[in-house]
Amino acid sequence: MTLYEKITTLYTELTDADFAPDTGTIMLQNDSDGNGDYIKEWNHPTLAKPTQEQLDGVQ
Amino acid sequence: MSTVKSKKLQVGTDATSSNNFTIYQPATPDGTLRIGVGNADSPTEVGQFNANGYVATKAPAFKAYASATHNPSLNTWTKIQFDSEEFDTNSNFDTSTYRFTPTVAGYYYITAKLRGALSTSVSTMYVSLYDGTGHEVGFRSLVNNLNQQIMETTALRYFNGSTDYIEAYCNFQGSGTATVYGNGTFYSSSTFQGILIKAV
Repeated sequence: MTLYEKITTLYTELTDADFAPDTGTIMLQNDSDGNGDYIKEWNHPTLAKPTQEQLDGVQ
Repeated sequence: MSTVKSKKLQVGTDATSSNNFTIYQPATPDGTLRIGVGNADSPTEVGQFNANGYVATKAPAFKAYASATHNPSLNTWTKIQFDSEEFDTNSNFDTSTYRFTPTVAGYYYITAKLRGALSTSVSTMYVSLYDGTGHEVGFRSLVNNLNQQIMETTALRYFNGSTDYIEAYCNFQGSGTATVYGNGTFYSSSTFQGILIKAV
């Protein structure tokens, strides 16, 4: 399960628009360095940035 | 009229050798006139004239490509793995970090081309140039599911010749499996290239 899938499982109200380049408030990134996807920016107006524990708990 | 014949001519007599220049013929003449920084006894070549005109010794230009197909996560800016080079004149592109860090300060023309697809549907595919602070984005909306699309973004950028760098990222919005095609599938599928336009 990707980071995007985990986040949208935690917050079902999120849509692709929330992750859209230029207009979205959440930016996920992967620097192809073996460390995987991560939250680069989280500026959502109402939802809190999920903790690593929350993300790890998503199956 | 007199004629001066010499293999080397130093211009400048400053106590600091890097303030002086030397124009010279190489030890083994090859039809070129070399230009170097430093005194006549040990100039460091910076360029030469040959039958075609002036050629800078350090003029970075590179073309890198993705050798293999890879599959980034959806809705995630993912650095494109340009792991092979067609040429890299100044050894400024790193095929392990997929990063171009020119060692000559100046203005560069940079392009990144992405050949990609989504397995089921797609709304938009993005490609960007990333300098560590932000994504300079080019994008194209896709209308046909499953079709591979090619898009390119370009930029004219200043690099300081030491710490400034550029990388290329992609981002797929839609559903299914995102694919970045490499040369194993199509020649020159996804490429990253740049060239020095003007040194400063």
